[in-house]
Amino acid sequence: MPYVLIAPFFILFAIFGLFPLIFNGVVALRTWRLDDPAQDGWAGLANFERLLTDEDFGNALYNTFGIFLLSTVPQLLLALCVAFLLNRRLRGQTWFRVSMLLPYITPLTASTLVFLVVFGRDTGVANWVLSVVGVDAIDWRAGKLQSWVAIATMVNWKWIGYNALLYLSAMQTIPRDIYEASALDGATAWKQLWRITVPMILPVVIFTVVLSTIGGLQLFTEPMLLDSNPASASGGSNGEWQTIAQLIYKVGWKNLNLGYAAAMSWALFLIIVVVAVVNTVLTNRLGGGKR
Amino acid sequence: MRLHRSGWVVATALVAVGALTLAGCKGGGSDEPSKPGGAVELKIAFWGDFGLDELKAKYEAANPNVKIVLNSGEYNAQHEDLQKKLIAGSGAPDIAAIDEGFIVSFRSQADKFVNLLDKGASKYQDKYLGWKWKQSLSADGKTQIGLGTDVGGLAMCYRTDLFKAAGLPVERDKVSALWPTWDDFIKTGQDYTAKSKKKFVDNGTNLFNPILGQQPVGFYDESETLKMDGGPKAAFDLTLKAVGAGLSANLPAFSPEWNAGFVKGDFAVLACPAWMQGHIKNTAPDTAGKWDVAAIPGGGGNWGGSFLTVPKQSKNADEAYKLLEWLIQPEQQIEIFKKVGNLPSQPALYKDPAIADFKNPFFSNAPVGQIFSKTAEGLTPQYLGKKNGPTRVAVENVINSVQAGTTKPADAWAQALKEADKASKA
Repeated sequence: MPYVLIAPFFILFAIFGLFPLIFNGVVALRTWRLDDPAQDGWAGLANFERLLTDEDFGNALYNTFGIFLLSTVPQLLLALCVAFLLNRRLRGQTWFRVSMLLPYITPLTASTLVFLVVFGRDTGVANWVLSVVGVDAIDWRAGKLQSWVAIATMVNWKWIGYNALLYLSAMQTIPRDIYEASALDGATAWKQLWRITVPMILPVVIFTVVLSTIGGLQLFTEPMLLDSNPASASGGSNGEWQTIAQLIYKVGWKNLNLGYAAAMSWALFLIIVVVAVVNTVLTNRLGGGKR
Repeated sequence: MRLHRSGWVVATALVAVGALTLAGCKGGGSDEPSKPGGAVELKIAFWGDFGLDELKAKYEAANPNVKIVLNSGEYNAQHEDLQKKLIAGSGAPDIAAIDEGFIVSFRSQADKFVNLLDKGASKYQDKYLGWKWKQSLSADGKTQIGLGTDVGGLAMCYRTDLFKAAGLPVERDKVSALWPTWDDFIKTGQDYTAKSKKKFVDNGTNLFNPILGQQPVGFYDESETLKMDGGPKAAFDLTLKAVGAGLSANLPAFSPEWNAGFVKGDFAVLACPAWMQGHIKNTAPDTAGKWDVAAIPGGGGNWGGSFLTVPKQSKNADEAYKLLEWLIQPEQQIEIFKKVGNLPSQPALYKDPAIADFKNPFFSNAPVGQIFSKTAEGLTPQYLGKKNGPTRVAVENVINSVQAGTTKPADAWAQALKEADKASKA
């Protein structure tokens, strides 16, 4: 009977999760070109060998990790601070908490298009603010660093509130008397945050780190829409911010090389697994856990 | 946990919901064959403005059993979507428009399309420009996957008000006389920017594409070998010269900034294939009467132009072909030309008074019928290789990075060679 109850999920997962994953693995080991149906057959590991020396893949990997660091680290730290602030007794508590979640429920495409107005070259809000401060206008699409910052900003805006709420819910479960005891011992708020709060909500921190890793390394929509020619999927005129997900899309649907694109997505899958494990271990160490 | 009877009911309901969800995931659309005597639904997928809105009503009135569904989308997205649906084996429209930039890669998948020769399309072969008919023919010449709608013969659209303000002539013929060659065109541009302190062209890539279109050989020759030293080099050098002279407003083609540029008058000229008329009119309706059309420097050339195809998976292939056949008849093609500006690819129509005498009020009553049909007739079309699309994007990206200042003009050609080579092997 319990099997019947959980069956719907597993049936759906097998059809829409497991099967595509395995099928993708098979495609990765084959030659499959849409523009040349005659080229068909078993390729073995040829697609993966090609990956190792592919400049574009290296560049995309570099961009993906660069944007990932610029977005995940500040994002989680800020989320922690926001949660810490929201955890106090505030007026209009619910209003603050709900408004934190608004960016998360905004459709991604809509919010990205608004950000494009902010990061416009000639008439952008960001450049106007900079000019008020006395800094020269920046062409946000003309270099690695500035385009990464633009994309990381969009990612952070969307996810800070979501992660803050997760942290907040974990913080609510920490007994008050621990804080009272530490306050008697003369602990500052800062010390309390790092010595009591973070270790006590460590499982949730690890959860958000893993989730951000999976999401961050699969970044697609923001870089795609930042391009002045969204259809080219080239991530800037010189691949300044092309992420792996974009490159997979380009190889599959622009170059019509499905075998190679499948190999890339499997490589991405393996990279995500490795990075997520490393991040979990690191977070555990930093938080002083023993799991 | 022991379940009560109601628990079973819930469980069964859950499973039923799951099964229904799965059933609901089956693609809808034109999968269902229509019952005889019932209504036939025909889906047409295209981009931009094919001028079909009024024709749809006309055809439905004449054929009460047919309902036409128009699906307009973004240019690249529509082609990619068609490609995906062809692989998936379902979900493709009954009639899919394909642009010349993509036709080679689709005609090499001729087995996925209805062979229009089997439907009797061979009787139209003589009516078409020879090269247009060949473009959508499979390599072995046995399968015709589509019938041509329009061609993109090139002219040069310019803003009379901006020309006048900069002290340049505004008369069509005098403007054409300003630039017999592209070098003269660049000189005129320098003249304009010096006097008006404004930019002359919208973007370097929109110089590169028409100049490349005028070369006898483009990126690829007939044997699918990348030929960068001929046409592409000539077009690239001229483009960089114009960019170096500070003529470009650096507005990426078809971006929102570019569209805003039409309204704001950020540029004074634009290489204009016939179909661009519709785009300008739809984008900047307030500039009516401020545009005119002159000859393009360096002779005739082509940019774009489309075909209508019937994917094999269509359950209503016969009805779809009937509609396609109707759409390419002279009356409809002339109707589309008048409405949107897309020039038909059947040369006999150029002599038809409806086209020969047509003047476009939006473009200061320029005799666009004559101007554009001349460009189409004097055309030696270029072979567009299978990899033409990605190669073009790769080289356009280099031009854009020169404009953004991230690539030095001196290194640009080496960069373009490298990127084009990569694209050709991708």
